[in-house]
Amino acid sequence: MNLSLSPLVELLFFPGGLVLLASGLVYEFVDRKLVARFQNRIGPRWFQPLADVIKLLAKEEVIPAGVVKGLFIFLPIVALTSILTAALYVPMFGLKPAFSFPGDLVVTVYLLSLMTLCIGLAGANTEDRFSLVGATRALTQMFSYEAPFLLALLGPAIALGTWNIGQINSAAGNNLWFIIAQPFGFIAAVIGLMGKLELPPFDAPEAETEIVAGALTEYSGRGLALFRIGRDVELVIGLTLIASFYLGGLANPLDFLWKTLILLLVTAALQSLFARLRIDQTVGLWWRIGSIMVLLQLLAVVVGRLIAPLIPFLSSGG
Amino acid sequence: MGAEKKPEKFVVSIGPQHPALKEPGHFEFAVEGEIVTSATARLGFVHRGMEKGTESRTWVQNLYLMERVCGICSAVHAMAYAQGVEKLAKVEVPPRARAIRQLIAELERIHSHLLWLGVAAHEGGFDTLFMLSWRDRETVMDLLEAITGNRVNYSANVLGGVKIDIDEVKSAAILKGMDFLEERTRHYMKVVTEDETFLGRTRKIGTMTLEQALRLGSVGPTGRASGVPYDVRVDAPYAAYQDFPVNIVTDTAGDLEARFVVRIKELYESYRVIRELVDHMPAGELTTRIPRRIQEGEVVSRVEAPRGELFYFLKSNGTDMPERIKVRTPSLCNWGSILATAVGHRLADMPMILAGIDPCFSCNDRMILVKRGNDQTVWTWEDLRRYGIEYYK
Amino acid sequence: MDIDQKLQAGAEIVKEWVISTSNPEVNRVDLVVAPENLKKAVAAMLDSQWGYLSAITGLDHPEYLTDETGVKKVDPDRGNLELLYHFSGGAAVLTLRVTLPYSEAVIDSICDIDMAAQLYEREAAELFGIEFRGAPSTDHLVLPDDWPVGVYPLRKAFTGLKKES
Repeated sequence: MNLSLSPLVELLFFPGGLVLLASGLVYEFVDRKLVARFQNRIGPRWFQPLADVIKLLAKEEVIPAGVVKGLFIFLPIVALTSILTAALYVPMFGLKPAFSFPGDLVVTVYLLSLMTLCIGLAGANTEDRFSLVGATRALTQMFSYEAPFLLALLGPAIALGTWNIGQINSAAGNNLWFIIAQPFGFIAAVIGLMGKLELPPFDAPEAETEIVAGALTEYSGRGLALFRIGRDVELVIGLTLIASFYLGGLANPLDFLWKTLILLLVTAALQSLFARLRIDQTVGLWWRIGSIMVLLQLLAVVVGRLIAPLIPFLSSGG
Repeated sequence: MGAEKKPEKFVVSIGPQHPALKEPGHFEFAVEGEIVTSATARLGFVHRGMEKGTESRTWVQNLYLMERVCGICSAVHAMAYAQGVEKLAKVEVPPRARAIRQLIAELERIHSHLLWLGVAAHEGGFDTLFMLSWRDRETVMDLLEAITGNRVNYSANVLGGVKIDIDEVKSAAILKGMDFLEERTRHYMKVVTEDETFLGRTRKIGTMTLEQALRLGSVGPTGRASGVPYDVRVDAPYAAYQDFPVNIVTDTAGDLEARFVVRIKELYESYRVIRELVDHMPAGELTTRIPRRIQEGEVVSRVEAPRGELFYFLKSNGTDMPERIKVRTPSLCNWGSILATAVGHRLADMPMILAGIDPCFSCNDRMILVKRGNDQTVWTWEDLRRYGIEYYK
Repeated sequence: MDIDQKLQAGAEIVKEWVISTSNPEVNRVDLVVAPENLKKAVAAMLDSQWGYLSAITGLDHPEYLTDETGVKKVDPDRGNLELLYHFSGGAAVLTLRVTLPYSEAVIDSICDIDMAAQLYEREAAELFGIEFRGAPSTDHLVLPDDWPVGVYPLRKAFTGLKKES
């Protein structure tokens, strides 16, 4: 069901632009509601994320003393823009990616990381102690999960012999699901996404009981709203990427809906199961366990590809 | 930026307003990277001048003032005060009243320890435990409300006895509540001693040896987690603890995990002693008469609050108002342990170490001083009272 | 009774500095010592492991003036302050009492032998105006930073600050 729309509509309205933003808010709601139910709370009402954003947009933006003013205003815009750009290369809502070229996987992952980079810079830009500590932690965490996350996405890419997200998506549907073929990669990808989004237990960069709101402590009003929408959309993109790579591809919107929601259920459960990891524990976890797990997986994939032509059974699984 | 000017001393200040501390206290932690190199404290943000306030109120009025020293452990304050006044007046309280006092104090300990469990879990970023333990805490809050009419500041004690009674219905409700809570508490014990991520935040964190704890004067569960064998309920039984004794709970590890374990084991003790109290509640009067003017004298009244030894010193000059009331709350003894154990730990551990002693700021600070905007006026108690009356007219 | 023995043992430890002894209630003994001997007595108590320092209570004993109308008023300049060092050991409470005149409200700090005393001492210093010689910190602890110098709220003469308008 790969429709093609006029590029302008695609960019501004569907699947990019407004609908993408709306879906980010919806997924944030589902995430918050699920975590709340797991914790035996009632949780927010359906319009709460939207209400939050409207409230933040209407609020005065306080620019604290001692910051580089341009950077302070510019960073949230860059962050949101890069996330929205990344959405163009991903099969959002089970549709064909709006744009596509060989190797767009690397560009997408890079664009997703820009968000964290912007948050880190935003924190380092202010004089606030909590922001500075938060920025240090955000960047430290990025360096720890980024490599395993990328390697986890490369697993299916290498197995299928293409670095184009659209092709991986359609090919993944024709193969054995990669969650079965490459379970370690799947785990690394889900946990990597949680680290990227700073969800508990990887929320040390914004641990409220230690450093208030982390790198974004000084942000209020529009800047904070943009960062929040950016993170919501990043959640949808991340879930889409993992679902299309590991859960047998996204052929249509229905496919997209149930696969991403199941993934969201898994991440929500993980969020409520654990105590927050300290930043040193996060780094240790990724480098000691995560990286090695993914590297072994990758090694297996490469070896598998080399010997696959020899064994007919493996050629279907990758 | 501060960090560039003085790279050797990068100070992160926590409080007086900070999400980690729901009460105002100010701490400055100098950090190198994530490691804390020094710590200082500043209290007094909610100093309300209560000790001064007692000197211009009658003995009876003071009972209600003392109950409001702390919102969490209000009953023990009232109990310590009432026991002191009764000792001064040489009045003997009937056994049933003493047993009910102990019952309320132990129910309060349950509510306080469960509250602490939630807060400590929240500081460690384990919100699920926070939410669930507070949900279960509602059981004991409902019981307290059913028995006394209030969720906090129960006002169960009066000078010379108690003003509430336990009947069959309430007894049955208490026993049912204890069964439910005991089952839940066993589950929490399992969580705090077996959950890997949680242990990563508590085991060998904030360790205080027995020697340190003794030197720093730690009391209560904080001290007992390091093996300090002080428990006023056992050392100097008051209320009905002579007839319904509790066992002292100590641990030797001295780290945060031990503080969790000690508090949870104390919950078991509380459930046990509450069941005994309900089953063998002595019959009799609830109050005895107490004179309005208390004869001259000085007494010390000590009780075991949820946080440790609560120390009251009362001095009477023979009138209907006290000459001096000194309150030494357990949190005050335990501050030293934070400042001493903080150094060398990571910034991320600070909230949990802070929460580990179960600090109670309102207990420490006892005077009011309100400043509004740029108005340099300092307000006294009397002004504030008048302002309050005007405001709500 | 073993609590009485415990109290006697406690009194024995500090007996060389004791000026007078009294038993205000059961399980308690009050020992009056001179200000210059207090630190030695506290050190002896702590070294003996008899118990721990529970609290330091401050008391104000002002002298009263009677003005021409016959109304008794607190004399803000003359009077005595008293410090009570309470030691607890089991059910026994042993109290060391020292009296300091307003004019010379100075005493040795015991912070170097008992760290826990710091908060008690600072509270007494701020609320009663007692100077603790050798105290590690004299910053405000419980009172606001802009609290006027020389105003001690727990002295009987204090009845509230004047409004500065």
